[in-house]
Order: sequence, then C-alpha cells, then structure tokens
Amino acid sequence: MRTPLHIQAGARTDLGRVRKNNEDCYSIESSLQLYVLSDGMGGEAHGEVASQLAVQTVLTHCRQAENSRATPIFGEPNPEISERTNRLASAIHLANRKVFEAAASNPEQMGMGATIVAAWIDGQKLSLAHVGDSRAYLLRGSSMDQLTADHSLVAEKVRIGILTPQEADASEMQSVLTRAVGTNGTVQVDTDEQLLLVGDFVLLCSDGLTRMVTDPEIASTLLTSASAQESADRLVELANENGGADNVTVIVLHVIEKSESVFQRLKIWKRNSG
Amino acid sequence: MSRLVLKFENAVLKEVPLGTSPVTIGRAPDNDIHIDNLAVSNYHARVYVEAGSLVIEDLNSLNGSFLNDIRVERAMLKDGDAILIGKHEILVDQTHDAATPAAEEIRRAPAPRVDETMVLDTHQRRKLLEMAVAAGERSQLSPERARIPTLTVSRGRTDQKEYRIAGKLTVIGASEMATVRIRGWFTPEVAAQINKHEDGYYLGRGDRVPKINGVSIHGLTKLNDGDVIDVGRVRLNFVYRD
Repeated sequence: MRTPLHIQAGARTDLGRVRKNNEDCYSIESSLQLYVLSDGMGGEAHGEVASQLAVQTVLTHCRQAENSRATPIFGEPNPEISERTNRLASAIHLANRKVFEAAASNPEQMGMGATIVAAWIDGQKLSLAHVGDSRAYLLRGSSMDQLTADHSLVAEKVRIGILTPQEADASEMQSVLTRAVGTNGTVQVDTDEQLLLVGDFVLLCSDGLTRMVTDPEIASTLLTSASAQESADRLVELANENGGADNVTVIVLHVIEKSESVFQRLKIWKRNSG
Repeated sequence: MSRLVLKFENAVLKEVPLGTSPVTIGRAPDNDIHIDNLAVSNYHARVYVEAGSLVIEDLNSLNGSFLNDIRVERAMLKDGDAILIGKHEILVDQTHDAATPAAEEIRRAPAPRVDETMVLDTHQRRKLLEMAVAAGERSQLSPERARIPTLTVSRGRTDQKEYRIAGKLTVIGASEMATVRIRGWFTPEVAAQINKHEDGYYLGRGDRVPKINGVSIHGLTKLNDGDVIDVGRVRLNFVYRD
C-alpha cells in the first residue's frame, strides 16, 4: 500500500552581513510542488535580474507544460530520466536562453548569469535539475547526501583528482563557476531522480549557506526544528552568525504524511534511530 | 610606490602598499594580507622596512615562508622577489614609475574580485578540460563506461534473477516503481536505491541501510565492479558486463 506523501515547505532568503544587495531569488509553487532557487551574478543590480528571470522562466515553462502537453521541449531529451525530469531540464534550457538573450540585448547586462537548482515532486518521485554551485541535499535517517555536483572550478578539480576536498574548501577560487545559466548560448543541465520516503528532508540552498555552515550543523538543524519554516529561518541565522559573507537562500522540504498512524510513526522513529 | 602583490594561480587577489608600518601575513582575518588557507598559520610572516631595506620575517609558521623557493626565517627583499606562503605567491614590486612593464602587467590583468562569482572564460575552460582528459587517461575510466552494469541475485526472493541497470534511478524494494522487486511481507517500498552519476553508480539507503561487502553504508557510496550488496535478506552482485 502506498502512503500518500505531503510536502511541508519552508523558505527564506537574506542579504547576509556583507553584501549590499540580494542577488539570490527563490520561488515555491505549492500547487505544482515545484521549488526553484537561483543565485545571480554580474555586479550592480544585474545579478538580481538574471536570477529573477531564470526562476520566473522555469516556473512559467513548467506551469505551461502542466496545462498543455504540446509545450515545446528545449534541449536534448534524455531517455534515462522521466518525462517530468526532462521537462525540468527543458525549463532550465529555456531560462538559459532568456537570460543570455537579455544580456546580449542590453550592453549593461553583459556577462550576467545565475546558478539554478530546481526540485519538482510528483507523488513519491523527486526530479532535480541544476546548473552552477547552488545545491540540493537529501537528509534520510541520519545521513545527509549532496545530490548535486557543483559546477565550480574547485569541485571539478576535486572530481578529476587534482585537488583535495580540503584544498577546495580553503581555495580562493571557490567563486569560479564552470557552468552558469545565461553566460553562453547553450548550457549543460544536470539532473537527478529520487524516490522520497516519509521523514526525508530535501534542502535547496545557495552557496551562502554551505560556505558558512557545515553539513553536520545543517543536518542537526533540520532534525531539531519544529517545522520546515523554522529550519529555514534557523539555517539563515546560522549562516549570518558565522559571518554571513554572501547572500543566503534556503528552501527546506519535509516529507510527511497527512495523518501518520502509530505504526508509521514507529517506522520513522526506527529508521531515524537506526 | 612599493607594494606587495598577492597572487593565486596567476590571478592577482590583492595589492598592499608598503608604508612605514609592517605588513602582516596570515590566516587570521586581522592580518594586512589575509590568506584563508589551512596551510597558512594565523600569524605567518611579516614584511617591514629595517634600516632602509625591505625585510621578510617568518613568525615561526608551521609550513614556512619561501623566498624564491628557499625557506627563510628572515631575509632581505628586492624588487621582483617572490615569496611563497602555502600556495599563495606574494610578489615584491618596488618599481617607482607606474609606467614600467611590471606595473603594466598588473594593470592588464585586473584583479578579479574573488568574493564575486564569475564564470570561467573559454581559455580556462579548455585548460580544465585538458586536465580532465589527462586525469581520465590516468585512471582509465573509459573501459568501465562502455560496459553494462548489472545486478545478479544470489540470495532472496526477487522478481528476476538478473537486472541490467538502464536508467538514472534504480529502486530496490516492493514499490511498483522498483526495478528490483523484492517479494515478501514487510518488504519496504523503497529498501535502497542506486543513482547514476557522471563518474559511476552510487548506492543509497531507503528504508533499509544496505551493506556493501558486509559493511553498512554511510551516505551515498560508489559501487565498484564485483561489489556484493545486501539489502535485508536479498543479496545482489554488482558487475559490469561486456
């Protein structure tokens, strides 16, 4: 018997303690269970323009696709992933085109771009797509895994084995991205899929969180908060307490049941304690 | 005016003018040249003028200060010297005229603001790609990629005896979405799952914490050819087939 899942969502964005404007942006579309977060770049106010345009485009495209199956697909569909995950990737390909075109038609916005991470939940299935160094994590039981691979210079170097994770964490080059939305005419979008279980937490965040707060701190905050919104608030506060060097944005998703039976509660308790 | 130029991987990170007070270098944020790297001591070294000469003094740092590749405790500096601290280079620039070639070079390559996000340019991207290819050749990743990952069942009740892993997500459990359907009462919908990443296949937990070669996993764990996976009472062998 399949247990109906319910997603409790919380989110918060903050300027941080150092920056003068917030170039991060996020959006939650509860009716679609679609969650999108973007971190803009490009100086002046252009980073904001890029991240907002990227988030808006993803939402609009997914909404359209829900209403009409004839909505065109952007980018090359991947046969290894579901139609819905392909749709999410398509939305990011379109966002890339829109930001790139906006930057090309306005000399002041030359070079603007954004990271993006998007989650779309359909029943039990989580579709993820991302570009850049904004991340998605899954906390299940007591183990938290990063589901996204950063498209940053230091992360790529770690993956090919020419830099250690410790060196990467200490590097001055952490802000150098290898991929971003809107800086090229086309972009490669990474996707992932997961089956969600009751009790899971999915976290989407900008690098303003992960550079300031360690993974264990993040995990314990998620596990000890009363609600997804409280988690989001506490994570942003932690990032600021630890220096708040960048804009920080988080979306916290908690997978719960509409009504948990005693048996289900026991099962979750068992999983979380084992 | 004289100055110190902090560089990392050929990028200019900071320029500090040399005045009458000493310039301190270290990992602690209150240094004049703050290098946030674990290889650098909190108060690593300082540069100051003594009797008309510019001097570097290492402050008993753990990993040392290097002047033109030689470890120094205290040494006189001249124009063009390179100090190496951790992986950061500090160049001594005592050219008085701003129009000299050294100063021009610095102006041509404006310091990227490292706190600001930027995207690699094409040249840098090509360099990284070359490094990735070289690293790939070393680790000989390619032969494994051409082969098909399979799971063969050596114990337990499942709907098939062998599975080819085809998609991005492979679910092991009782769910109708599961690729590896485990039969029997009390089998969780999602006991475990396998995700395809760029560099291979990763096993993650579901309602059960699976074991690889007898050891319970902690978080997503990469599967290697020949690994034995235990999920509850089911045992699967992960093998790359031709």
